[in-house]
Order: sequence, then C-alpha cells, then structure tokens
Amino acid sequence: MRPSPEGYVTKVRKPADFDEFWDGVLAQAAGVPLNPETSYSDLRSDEGVEVYETFYDSIDDVRIAGWFCVPRGSDGKLPAILTLPGYQGEPGIPKEWARKGYAAFSVAPRGKLRSNSQFNPGYPGLLTHNITDRNTYSYRGFYVDAWRGIDYLLTRDEVDAGRIGVTGGSQGGGLTVTTSAMRREVRAAIAGAPYLCGYVDSIELTHAYPYEEINDYLRLHPDSRDQVVETLAYFDGINFAGKITCPFVIYIGLQDQVCPPETGYALFDAVASVDKKLYTADGHGHNAGKHNIDKELDAFFERHLKA
Amino acid sequence: MNDERPAGFEAYWQDVLDELALYSARVEAEAIPIRTNDSATMYGLRFTSLGSYRLFAYLSIPVGDGPFPAIYWVPGSGSVISPIPQGSPSQLRSRFVAFSLAARGFRNADKPYAAAFPGLLTDGIEDPSAYRFRGIAADCVRGLEVLLSRPEVDAGRVVVQGGDLALFTAALGEGATHLVCTPSTFYKALDAAKGTDSEIADHLRLNPGSEAAVAGTLANFDPRWFAPRITARTLVQTAPPGGFLDRDGLSPLLGAFQAPPDVYESQQSNYKDGMFVEQWVSDRFGFDAPILPEHWRG
Repeated sequence: MRPSPEGYVTKVRKPADFDEFWDGVLAQAAGVPLNPETSYSDLRSDEGVEVYETFYDSIDDVRIAGWFCVPRGSDGKLPAILTLPGYQGEPGIPKEWARKGYAAFSVAPRGKLRSNSQFNPGYPGLLTHNITDRNTYSYRGFYVDAWRGIDYLLTRDEVDAGRIGVTGGSQGGGLTVTTSAMRREVRAAIAGAPYLCGYVDSIELTHAYPYEEINDYLRLHPDSRDQVVETLAYFDGINFAGKITCPFVIYIGLQDQVCPPETGYALFDAVASVDKKLYTADGHGHNAGKHNIDKELDAFFERHLKA
Repeated sequence: MNDERPAGFEAYWQDVLDELALYSARVEAEAIPIRTNDSATMYGLRFTSLGSYRLFAYLSIPVGDGPFPAIYWVPGSGSVISPIPQGSPSQLRSRFVAFSLAARGFRNADKPYAAAFPGLLTDGIEDPSAYRFRGIAADCVRGLEVLLSRPEVDAGRVVVQGGDLALFTAALGEGATHLVCTPSTFYKALDAAKGTDSEIADHLRLNPGSEAAVAGTLANFDPRWFAPRITARTLVQTAPPGGFLDRDGLSPLLGAFQAPPDVYESQQSNYKDGMFVEQWVSDRFGFDAPILPEHWRG
C-alpha cells in the first residue's frame, strides 16, 4: 500500500542565492529587445477567430515562436491568457480561449518546433541538457522564453495589461508556476499536473519519462549527482512558489504516473497566495481529471479576469 | 461522405507495398549508453523506407535469453518520439522488446523532411500519390519488418499499439499478432473535420474547391477499409459515449474486422484506460500480471 501522497515531505531545498541567481537572469533578459513579429495566418484563422503567427527574441540569441489569437471583430481591451506547453507536444493554437473572449497567446519555448533553429537538444534530451551547470542548463533560457510571452502580450493593443492569466498542463503547469512567480502582471493562474516541481522527489517516486531522463543521466554520470541536485534546486517550481501571490489553482491526479501527486501537494503547500485551491482527482493519472472541473476552471478565470 | 470503399483502395496500397519492397532496409544499429540500464540495452536504429528515406527507431532489448515479446509503438500526433511512451514504466523494458518508430518528418527522422505540427496532416492531401501519410504508412510497415527481423523477438507475441497508424500497420504488414488501437483522425475524416479546428477544416476553408480531391485522398486512409485485412487479435479503444468516435459511432469499423475485436470504452482517465490496456496485453501474452507504473499499483 502506497503512503498517502498528501503526507509526503519534499526533499527540495532552496539555495541561499536563489533570488540573486534569477535576478541576474532577469537583468540579462531585460537587455534583450523583444523584436516582436506578428503575421496574420489566413490558413488558421476562421470566421470567429483571428490567428497570428508570432516570433520574438529571447536570451542567448534564440528566436521564439508562438500563436496569438483574438476574437474576430472584438474592440476595446480584452483579458488575456498565456498558455504554456507540455514537454513533448507542440504548442496548440489557442482558438478555444479566443472563442471564450480572451486574447490568447501560446508560446513555443526553445527546442519546440519553430523555436529550434538555434537550440535543439531533442527529446529525450531537453531535461538533462547542461544539467550540471545552472548558468547553461536548458531550462534557464526555456523559463525566460515563457516569461517573455507576457512581454509579447503587453505589446498588443488588444490586451488589457491588468487582466492577464496563465495556464498549462504538465510542463505547462510547471511553467505556469514559474511565470506566475516571476511576472507580477499575472492576475490569476491555473496549473495542471505540474511538472518541473519536485525534480529530486520525482526521480525516486516514478520511473517513467520524462523524469526518467535524469535517472538515465545519473546512471551514466554517477559522480555528477551533487552538481545535478544543486542545479535543479534553482529550477524547481516548489522554490518559485513562495513568490506567487495571485489567485492560483492546481489540479492533480492521484494516480499520476508522470508527475507524482506527492509533488503536487508539496507545491500547493509552498504557494504563497492567500487565494489558492487544490483539486485532487482520485482514479486519474496525468490527465488529472481535468474534464470534470473544466467549468470551475473557466469560472475561475472569468471571476478574476473578466469581472 | 462516401461509405463505400474506394474502388482503387487495394491497388493503391498494393502499389505502396510493391514500391516499399524495392528498398532494402539496410539497418544500422548503434547502442545508446545513456538509455541503457541493468535490465535492457537501448539501440538507435537507422533504416531505409520508401523513396530511400532514412528513418529512426528506438529499440530496447531486455537483458537475458530471449526471445521476448515485443511492443511496437507507431508515431502519434506529435513530433516527438520517446524511447517508450511518456508515463510508461521503464521496468517494461525488462520484459518486452520495445520498438518506437520515428516516421518521416518526425523528430529524429526529420531530414530531409521536417514536418510541421500543425501542417503534416494536410501536406499533399489533394493528391493520393503525394500525400505524406502514404509514405508514413509505408514507414510503419517497414518498422514492423525491421522489428521482426530481430532474433530477440518472439514472433508469436508482437503487439502494435497506437492510433490509426497502428491499425494500418497491422493491416498492411505481416507479423503483428496483436493490435491495440484507438481510431482517431482518419475515421470518416472529412465528416469529422467539419466545424472543428482541425487542420483538414483549415485546409478546406482556405481551399473550398478542393473538397472532392481531399475526400478522394482521405478515402484511402479510412480505417474501415483496412479492418477486413487484420488477422491480429485486436483491442479497440473507443471514446466515451457521446462523441463521434464512441462505440456507436465506430460501429461500422468494429463490424469490419475479420474477427470481432475486443472493445474498451474510454473512461477519460489515462489511469483506468491504461490499466485496462496493460492487463489486456499481459493476459494475451500469458503473464501473471502487468508491469505497472508505481502510482497505478495498489
């Protein structure tokens, strides 16, 4: 019988210079002009939604792609949703959010198709690329790419800068955590089955990809364990969670074989927001029973972004 | 929607298979130390398919004396091919030869052709002879041939898993003893696409005069016309009630198999659905119990 995931104690430790490290990254990012580019897509637009293919610059000279959607014929400022992608899948075109009345932006961080001409560690590969050095670890730039999705939204006339939400599942859930923590513009966020939270816990709790990439790496490089653990502490969503103050929802599956539910509980405990809620789905794996709470999740964004 | 099998269906696919036979697989295998563990060795395979296209596959061979039962995962709807599917326990590799194919256009097999996602589904869709999935289906058949050429494989226990491509593979290729498939994109594809955000709907919106040509191409890829060729013991996973791909919606397909397939209705839980599939395979292959992820165990 497995112990209750709720009682799990995370092994994640926060480095003393965590904030200093990320302040340095943000300072580097601030020096990189966004250079946004937006072009209308005849092929992907329809009678209800205008779809735009987008690009912008991020750190390390990487050009980042995305999809921007707005309801056709809308005028005035719209609330906005930034959607963040999972580990393996390509970012979708967020037309459904536009149909719900939002300006919606879906970002493809480095290594995703259309953002992989300068950086392409592959899958598997992304999770352990330069994992022994926090200054060159893949997710250093990957996180910044996602955060700059907020900057892209702020360039758009259609977007009300005071009503921006963020959401995603799996890796998108983990990126929702870090984006909400690092960007004060985020007014509400929903993280599903969050990945990138509790790395060092997960590699013991599960032996499934993508986390298994780290176990693969450590098997081949056992002497690097301390450096790996040190690096990952700077990137763990649980260590970002104390910076989150906006209304925040997490949903997890109690039989999640990809992102262990133990880490979802640990993340929830660490989120600093006063207004926070955790949905747990018994009988569900990595899909986390989302279809059962879709209405509640829509209502959450409506309450915080449309009121 | 045409509910009749296209007159040229058999000829179309026989041409594909005949053409594929002109290309020797010329397999190169290279061990991948980082994906090798105490229970299995991982190889990266490169081999040739239709049009001299070089494909890639992950091949995991259990440690010990074989032969071993084999699982063949065909590509899904995303660009990434994982050594074993995300969420599957790595311990599976101690029991099964695991084979995961990157067909043309997918990552690791994206030179010279890098597919766009979205975009792949409609690439060449107005011409059956140029449609990308013609080659991709051939790639999946070639993958099965390469897998079965391995002496470590127990030819009496080979399951192909995936969506429509798994079904195509079991129908067009030889040697799959079992099939686990979730019909999706190509089942009544034109009807299914209308009014949705699918790539096919996008294509028809921008090219309204192309519907007849698109329909003509897609008719060659409808799972209903492949099902009568399948001899493998089959499990079909349907969508939950109420959708286009639920049990009722799929009844024309389910009734087209040589032998009635086992049918499982999704419970919209990858835990419950996954448990059923793992148990089904385990039972058919004669194991006492399936190998499950940690969080699926009692």
